Amino acid sequence: MKKYALYPGCVIPTEQYAYELSIREILPLLDIKLVDLKGFSCCGEPMKSVNQMLTISLSARNIAIAEAENLDVFAPCPMCHLAMSECKRILDSDEKTKERINSFLADENLKYTGKSKILSILDILYDDEGLKKISGLVKKPLKDVKIAVHYGCHLIRPSEIGRPDNSENPQKIEQILKAIGAKPASYPEKLDCCGGLLTTNLPETALTKTGQKLQAVQQQGFDAFVDVCPWCHRQYDSKQTKAGETVATKLEVPVFYLTQLIGLAFGVKKEKLGLEFNLSPVDKLKID
Amino acid sequence: MSIVDLTSMSESQTAIKNEINQRLSKLKDEVSDYCYQCAKCTSGCEAHKLLELEPHKIIALLKRGLIDEMTNSEVIWTCMSCFKCRERCPQKVAPVEVLFALKNMAVASGKQIPGNYTAMLQSILTMGLIQDVKSVTTNDNKTKNRTELGLPEISKPIDLAKFQMVLSKLAVEKI
Amino acid sequence: MRRIGVFVCHCGINIAQNVDVEALTKYASHLNGVVVSKNYKYMCSDVGANLIKDAIKEHKLDGVVVASCSPRMHEHTFRQVVTDGGVNPYRLEIVNIREHCSWAHNDRQKATEKAKSLIRSGVAKAKLLEPLQSSTIKVNPDAMVIGAGIAGIQASLDLANEGFKVYLIEKEPSIGGRMSQLDKTFPTLDCSSCILTPKMMEVANHPNITLHTYSEVSGIEGSIGNYTVKIKKKPRYVDLSKCTGCSDCATACRLKGRIPNEFDMGMGKRGAAYMPFPQAVPLKALIDDKTCLFLTRGKCGDKPACAEACQQKAINFEQKEETIDLKVGAIIIATGYDPLNTEKLYEYGYALSPDVITTLELERLISSSGPTKGEILRPSDQQKPKSITFILCVGSRDETQCTWCCRIGCMSALKHVYLLREKLGEDVEINICYTDIRSYGKGYEEFYRKIRGHKANMFRGRPSEVRNMGAYQKVDIFDTTTNKLFEIKTDLIVLVPELVPRPDAADFARLMHLTQSGDGFFLEAHPKLRPMDTFVNGIFIAGCCQGPKDIQDTVSQASGAASRAACILSKKELQIDPLIASVDEEVCTGCGLCVEVCPYEARILNEKTKIAEVNGALCMGCGACIVACPSNASIHKNFTKKQLLNMIDDIM
Repeated sequence: MKKYALYPGCVIPTEQYAYELSIREILPLLDIKLVDLKGFSCCGEPMKSVNQMLTISLSARNIAIAEAENLDVFAPCPMCHLAMSECKRILDSDEKTKERINSFLADENLKYTGKSKILSILDILYDDEGLKKISGLVKKPLKDVKIAVHYGCHLIRPSEIGRPDNSENPQKIEQILKAIGAKPASYPEKLDCCGGLLTTNLPETALTKTGQKLQAVQQQGFDAFVDVCPWCHRQYDSKQTKAGETVATKLEVPVFYLTQLIGLAFGVKKEKLGLEFNLSPVDKLKID
Repeated sequence: MSIVDLTSMSESQTAIKNEINQRLSKLKDEVSDYCYQCAKCTSGCEAHKLLELEPHKIIALLKRGLIDEMTNSEVIWTCMSCFKCRERCPQKVAPVEVLFALKNMAVASGKQIPGNYTAMLQSILTMGLIQDVKSVTTNDNKTKNRTELGLPEISKPIDLAKFQMVLSKLAVEKI
Repeated sequence: MRRIGVFVCHCGINIAQNVDVEALTKYASHLNGVVVSKNYKYMCSDVGANLIKDAIKEHKLDGVVVASCSPRMHEHTFRQVVTDGGVNPYRLEIVNIREHCSWAHNDRQKATEKAKSLIRSGVAKAKLLEPLQSSTIKVNPDAMVIGAGIAGIQASLDLANEGFKVYLIEKEPSIGGRMSQLDKTFPTLDCSSCILTPKMMEVANHPNITLHTYSEVSGIEGSIGNYTVKIKKKPRYVDLSKCTGCSDCATACRLKGRIPNEFDMGMGKRGAAYMPFPQAVPLKALIDDKTCLFLTRGKCGDKPACAEACQQKAINFEQKEETIDLKVGAIIIATGYDPLNTEKLYEYGYALSPDVITTLELERLISSSGPTKGEILRPSDQQKPKSITFILCVGSRDETQCTWCCRIGCMSALKHVYLLREKLGEDVEINICYTDIRSYGKGYEEFYRKIRGHKANMFRGRPSEVRNMGAYQKVDIFDTTTNKLFEIKTDLIVLVPELVPRPDAADFARLMHLTQSGDGFFLEAHPKLRPMDTFVNGIFIAGCCQGPKDIQDTVSQASGAASRAACILSKKELQIDPLIASVDEEVCTGCGLCVEVCPYEARILNEKTKIAEVNGALCMGCGACIVACPSNASIHKNFTKKQLLNMIDDIM
């Protein structure tokens, strides 16, 4: 049984409940225990434009909380995962900066040491053991569902600092989907950005980016669209109608979290996977 | 002698340019001087088509030390942080990181922060996260909250006062 | 040895600015054993040389110390001067007061004091230097050229025409190399085959050239003047004495049209039995033992189709690999380059669509002997493309791939524009996405002018990615000349890739004791003054194996290398530098440690006497054996322990 400190970030626990529900549902089936710790705050990444020092410190304090319990950190949101990985990279290679940050953390009796690893949803689900385990638990394979995979940006870039999958040809989610019976297919727009971060100051433009990608996916006849990031999912699923308006198209693409699809394939009930929160037409997909 | 940009009548702000380059080196990024303006970054920039952001031009202006022109503009806030420019640059320059530095400088010098950033920052100060718990509507128009869904309480900073103190100290720090 | 002359050089201001040369001269004159001490502005000049020679005569010197720049610069010069003056050249000691002193320090007073110590120790050594004699070795006048592209061909012809016997070794079944794959060459638009095949024929018919094709170097022993090279001749399974090159076997082969053809860069297909290409030299067939049904499975239908078809009964499946030893005096390496595997830049879509090709692949489409007989057809649907887009600098000038410029990319793309216009007329749209156009050579700018005048749409910028839209390829490119983003929908993408060393370059370098430069190409001894020499005496490099370059630079370098090789081959004897290791036979215990540590394989343990011996021709005087020897039996001539300890004592 593997144990990880679950670091949910901001958007998942306050808004994107479906992701949290589906994660808490399926990970125990894969023999993984998620530990909830007290004291977390934002990872700081949305604040990087305002003050990067704040970002590094916020990430460091959250990692320090997990380190105090001798746990590795599982950050399902790729933006949090990037923030913490970047923080770890900087602090682990620069003693002076680490000391400086720790001097701030000391006020809360926290200390960053660097001994905890930061894991993403792909690190957890995909490794040789993971794929075999996953296919072993499939009760209702997603019979030939043609799926467009959206990795997002922060999960796979910048590759220089080490990311969970290849930046130009990521395939791990496709392999997981194949393991649950689905038919993932490539499309030219696969690596396009959802625009999510721009919601903060240019929401219309963000929705246009979202709409453009969904429009292309819809035109290519996909049955479903899968993502692993709450910022992306908020754009593609929660705001699909509005996104359609910006590109003057009626969008009707079923959008799922990867963990929801895995849960469905495992035979878990819809309610337990938060499918009621998907505002895109997920019922179009007949899975039962 | 002197070099003056006749459009803006400004001279090179070498000290600030060096500061930005130092910050990049500290974060283990390549400095901007090696850019040879191939514009591969702009050709693939996710923000270019809709918002006219030109990452290669940002680097060119940085090389010339024309910083104010950028920190005073709105275009630096159009970056989506997709990191494609950093990923594909043949000289390992990272326009996205330069933009973060410029944005930080704009904020530090008192320029108005666009959009929701201030509200998010405020929210972090008040309760640790960029937004408070939302009442979310399902696809059949019910509203549910965490307790109803059987989810544990949200994790927040234990001693909010101490947390706020740390944040206020950090507010004036530079990399 | 008590009559030493010390000569201090100012080296213009290189030394004199930071070191008080007058004070040094005065100081040296008082040293024990020194009878004359002089200084001059440029000791390496004629005047300086005469100064030394006159002093030798006047003061009857038997040893000379020159305090100047690094011995790597002028030791050779001064040895000659000293010899002319009548003193044994090995009774010369160079004291480096430039790189080791004046160039390294700022404090003039302290630098002068240091220089004094250095000179003092130099004099101490000079007093103990022995008058060594160089030995001579006989030179084998034959040459070997490895690689038979245009570089190897040119070098072989030059040497053969000078009267030397040349063994030309080629890995592929035919000579000709990359140039034989080209259709036309820039900027003259010469037909590549038309200018190459006469040379190939000359090589084949030259009485002084022995050609070994489909052969590789598998071992090398010896030293300059006397190399023994092992050649592994791969079996063709075709008897060359019987094969007439009729290609009936290739036509009959059951796998005909199924195997990607290397000569066509995979754009065309061949069988297991095949002819390398129509103008191959030698024009003989061969069978690929990795794919041939008979050779891999033991069965090809009832009877092997090739053997049935061959009227000369030239097919011989019993052929085995052969190893031969060739003895030569000098070797020229001309093993060429590979284009970068463009799959490495995944974003350019090479792996995702057959309509994304490289320049060499396009060259094969353009060539009339290529897979489409010279018709430009899209690989995906064999239709004429209406729009072709070039992307330059793929993998070049790139800190994440290859840092260097490929030198020929710009010109070959411009050449392709010209040839495509010729073939497809005005109907086709041709786009070039470039970063810089490097048209530096003679006639190159004129060619560029012609193309940019009206033949292509030039976009100054680099695309971030190529998107495969199925029916066409889509490229977004920001053009910095107009500051606009253009979306190009195009039928065919041509990537202009970096030129890289061959995949076995590292192994080959190890085999031949060559050094590679940071980019993996073979390292020249000096980039400006010795661009064809390597650090191994007697081995030279030419062509793209030393670094990417165009055909005219390759041919120049090949002729240059031939000339360098001829300097050795034309001599009956060579002098061996005596500053090498030697063995004190009375002390040597025959432990063999020195043999193990020698990186040049210059030492052997004599089986009978059980005493180590040094091959003077191979020994480079690196000193590894001196350190390894536990009995102090290994001695470096004129760098003996006593000499060195004396130097140290005098410094202290």
